[in-house]
Amino acid sequence: MDLATIEKVVAFIGALVVFTFALIGLKGEWHKKGLDDNVTKVLLGLMAFGCVLVVLASFGVLPRGGGGA
Amino acid sequence: MAVSVAVHGHGPDDHGGHDDDIIYQETRDMRLMGFVLFLVSDVVLFSSYIFAYIYLRNSIQPTWPPIVDGHQLPRLDTAFAAFNSVVLFGSGVTMHFALESWKHANKPRFNTFMWLTIFLGLGFLGGQGYEYAHAQIGGWSGNIFGASFFTLTGMHGIHVFLGVCFLFALWIQTQRGVYTEHRFFGLTAGTLYWHFVDVIWVVLFFLFYLW
Repeated sequence: MDLATIEKVVAFIGALVVFTFALIGLKGEWHKKGLDDNVTKVLLGLMAFGCVLVVLASFGVLPRGGGGA
Repeated sequence: MAVSVAVHGHGPDDHGGHDDDIIYQETRDMRLMGFVLFLVSDVVLFSSYIFAYIYLRNSIQPTWPPIVDGHQLPRLDTAFAAFNSVVLFGSGVTMHFALESWKHANKPRFNTFMWLTIFLGLGFLGGQGYEYAHAQIGGWSGNIFGASFFTLTGMHGIHVFLGVCFLFALWIQTQRGVYTEHRFFGLTAGTLYWHFVDVIWVVLFFLFYLW
């Protein structure tokens, strides 16, 4: 197993863990109405989206032309 | 009002403390609005550079990565960037739970999450340094790809570095009793800032590594 594969596997597992905890955090914020709470909801949601991008990258779905060093 | 008195522990005749709470709440709202506006101004700053990059990529260079001296530059290391991205996103989650721990008066848990956040932030910066040392796309002034990459990720890296310093200063303040369970605006601002640098990286990760 080469270094790039190890990095992708660790990134995939890490992204799943972070995505899960980001959703847990988002669920905890969901009922709150303050300005800071609403900004946090948006930012946590975008961070969860970032985890989806990492999963797509670790499977090689993105970039379409193929990535890696 | 009764709830406020019960929560903050002031007696019904303690008008000074109650007024203090009202003043704190009002100034907190203003400071929060000011901080959110600061983040919006930072969004404008990054947006101007990001749109410049998109324009250059689509208009000036027909192939991407660009061809320099007859050879097409290689793509950046997506696998390592994915790993480094998870490190930064993970720090966003730990910072969120650090703030939640503070709200629930769980100081040991707060300290753990805060230090995890700081270490993950430093880890991301180390990863960026490694990437800079190994990226084979020329230097800052070599071509438009290198110039865009080093300018945008460098600007983001400076934000991360300042964020780490910010979080460390906040941690020192918590140890000195600056914040209480009910008054912790600095921690709220620190958390928002840290989430902000995470989200900027989502955009940069897509633009430079996945697009």
